[in-house]
Amino acid sequence: MLVFPRLQPVLSSGDNVPRAAEPTARRPESSPAVGETIRAAADGDQDAFGRLYADYVRLVHAIVLGRVPRGDVDDLVQDVFLTAYSRLRELRDPAAFGSWIGSIARNRATDFLRQRRPQVELPAELPGGDAIASESLAVLDAIRKLPEAYRDTLLLRLVEGMSGNEIAERTGLTPASVRVNLHRGMKLLREKLGLP
Amino acid sequence: MSDYLWDPSATSDPEIERLERLLRPLAAKTPPVRLSVRSTRWLTARFLAPALGVAAAVLVMVGATWQSSSRSFGWTVASISGDPRVESAPVGAVAHLAVGQSLVTDAASRARIDVSSIGEVTVDVNSRVRLLESRDGRHRLALDRGTLHAVIIAPPGQFVVDTPSARATDLGCVYTLHVDDDGVGLLGVQAGWVAFEFDGRESFVPAGASCRTVPRAGPGTPRYDDANQAFQDSLDEVDYGGDPARTEPSLAYVLQHARPRDAMTLWHLVSRIDAAHRGAVIDALAARVAMPKGVSKENVLRLDRASLDAWWNALGLDDASWWRMWKREFY
Repeated sequence: MLVFPRLQPVLSSGDNVPRAAEPTARRPESSPAVGETIRAAADGDQDAFGRLYADYVRLVHAIVLGRVPRGDVDDLVQDVFLTAYSRLRELRDPAAFGSWIGSIARNRATDFLRQRRPQVELPAELPGGDAIASESLAVLDAIRKLPEAYRDTLLLRLVEGMSGNEIAERTGLTPASVRVNLHRGMKLLREKLGLP
Repeated sequence: MSDYLWDPSATSDPEIERLERLLRPLAAKTPPVRLSVRSTRWLTARFLAPALGVAAAVLVMVGATWQSSSRSFGWTVASISGDPRVESAPVGAVAHLAVGQSLVTDAASRARIDVSSIGEVTVDVNSRVRLLESRDGRHRLALDRGTLHAVIIAPPGQFVVDTPSARATDLGCVYTLHVDDDGVGLLGVQAGWVAFEFDGRESFVPAGASCRTVPRAGPGTPRYDDANQAFQDSLDEVDYGGDPARTEPSLAYVLQHARPRDAMTLWHLVSRIDAAHRGAVIDALAARVAMPKGVSKENVLRLDRASLDAWWNALGLDDASWWRMWKREFY
């Protein structure tokens, strides 16, 4: 029988950096309506799963983007949702869907990095590729070097355009924890980028 | 903390706004997932390789468990709604579907089948499926009528669904298969690939595409679901029309209006169109995806397999060698 990966702590802290909000600072992340959607999707309602996808794709995308090369992100995002779809009935608490799929995303990214062959990094921009400014990639690189909690929260805010309340709702963190992570993450990012 | 960092609708903070402008091009652009037939395009064609990687990893994880369970006497069936029945007996909470038995749903019932340890099949209302075979590395259902949704995590070729007019072979994917009372089928692929085959006529259907199948004629030409309706209708006419007076203008429409991504469709047409029109299809395909080095029109005209495979590989979907390998290993 397949066993779904254990949930990983959402928050962590690195050396010489401010501590992220405590992982215990969580709250029920989903409304009863979302719980119904999750149960319907688990029972095979594919439109319901489509709604979950639309609601949570930015969360998964941000988590994966913070960990793996950009060219692999879209495939892994789809992979995460496929895994979630096939294992949805194993989710015991529908209210924990956000942290559950977030854990799938983190584990999938970790597995991807562990399994891939050593590769020579290509230049950030190649002729014919999509035009992402090198400055953008430099900022992304700086965020990727932040502790996990700050990295995910800042990517959700700055890349995916979510508000603090949306981040709290999707991740299951309390608004206070999100606020702390945004504040401290932004402070560290400024330092890394040499901003005043 | 800047209110703007918390709430993007607050008064903007120039520094954060600048970071947003830099980073926003990296935001998720994946279209919303749609898992229903003819409206699906939620995985990139590049999905297959990681999907197979996942499948391989999963199989290693389940190891002996998978081996032993796939030798078991049948599959577990659970009722999702209503009163699905296995051989006229109510499924209740859980039942077993043994080889040779059928599962039937009425207008109010749906059921879920655990396919050994390699995935699951949801059987929609008004459907009848039969379990034909279940052993190590080989699981086969028949869908006589109705609709099923399959989510399979297994190496290619291990899960097969027979319909009255074609055989659907899972190549590591998520798909929906419908068969109406006349035996006409419709396959929609949401992830990975499905091979659709009847009497040597093959269609390889990628994520976001669908394919019809008709009794005695077999699978039609796969097409992406986002192709416009006139294109799809014309393709159906080419596949099943039979009246040259209508088929020729339909083919002309298809060749003229195919988008670059419809090269997948044109590639299939090359080998199934009559010889008199094959040259025009080859030209249309070459206009969308250049003929690879070493491939000649003459060779493609005579349906040289290596040339067709080489051109397929140039479409940027997936390498033909893996499904050739799948056929060698499993058939």
